Amino acid sequence: MATFPKLKTNAVAQYPATRALRYQNQTVRFLDGTDQRYRDASGPLHRWVIRLSELDEGELAEMEGFFLSNQGQFGSFVFVDPWDDTSYPSCSLAGDRLDLTAIAEMQGQTILTVVENRT
Amino acid sequence: MFPQLPTGALSQFPLRKRRAARTVVNTTADGRTIKLPDVAAQITEWQLQYTGLSDAELATLEQFFAAMEGSLNGFTFLDPNGNLLAWSDDPSQVEWQKASYLTLTGGGADPAGGTRAWHVANSGAGAQSLSQTLNAPAVYVYCLSVYARAAQPTAIGLLLGSQRAACLLGTAWNRFTITGTGDAEATSISFGIELPAGAAIDLYGPQVEPQASASAYKSSTTGGVYENAHFRDDVFTYTSTGVNRHSTTVNILYANHL
Repeated sequence: MATFPKLKTNAVAQYPATRALRYQNQTVRFLDGTDQRYRDASGPLHRWVIRLSELDEGELAEMEGFFLSNQGQFGSFVFVDPWDDTSYPSCSLAGDRLDLTAIAEMQGQTILTVVENRT
Repeated sequence: MFPQLPTGALSQFPLRKRRAARTVVNTTADGRTIKLPDVAAQITEWQLQYTGLSDAELATLEQFFAAMEGSLNGFTFLDPNGNLLAWSDDPSQVEWQKASYLTLTGGGADPAGGTRAWHVANSGAGAQSLSQTLNAPAVYVYCLSVYARAAQPTAIGLLLGSQRAACLLGTAWNRFTITGTGDAEATSISFGIELPAGAAIDLYGPQVEPQASASAYKSSTTGGVYENAHFRDDVFTYTSTGVNRHSTTVNILYANHL
């Protein structure tokens, strides 16, 4: 199974990094104002936004190669949460588009969003 | 072919590149997904911003745009921020032409701290080469670079078209480069490493770039030659900021399915 690439510093993410936790619940509201809630999925899903800057050309190419090998959001990989080192065995990129910017030499930028898949 | 600037560069900073894929996603009620990739729909797009162009440079770009009739005709575009070689970390792939007496062993320690170096040995009685031919305009300025070392002092050759540069390898990793152009009329150009008889070396990070000197090594699988790329737009706009100083932005599009 592929793994999300690390930078040369061995880090996965840089500041600012964003992490989200999403539950999927349903609510049925009644005429008297009460409601009934239930779980619509087996558990929460995680989402991470990895904003990378000051990348050298090799690191930027590594991210591009990872996007290509995954064919956008199609592929799945292991992602290690940079907050707590928990390993999530089935994750994917969130979208089919990757923007890469080289501001200057060794100043590459890109943003990747990783989502946990329901298994 | 897309024109190089007189400096040998294809673009200036900032350089923007966009990769787009297409995936058909069916999301079920419980949040599971069923995905199908559409490989043929992949699109790569570059935004090239030029500033400080001379009259001659601007004229070259404008004439090329006119010759292509905007987005109508296709041309060969070389990724200005990429490694033009395919499978740069794996010379056992078919894109590489390996002479018959060369043996390749992968998984060696590389100077970047990984294990992507290759041990290459020549058991023949003559010089043998490992090379890759690109369907790219030979008239461009190219830079071939590679990291190499050998247990014993060894002289190898870097090959760029018909040019050859001799390099003396020591026991420490060093990066060697050769810069030049190929034959003006050729539509392809070869890049390679030539080992003398009996030589054994460690090799890492072969890279070809459409510019005069080497940048940081970029591992590649697909290579950086895009045949049948197009201008995205039908309009070429430029601003003259002074005498002999112009700026413009062009967008290049490459679609697998076109």
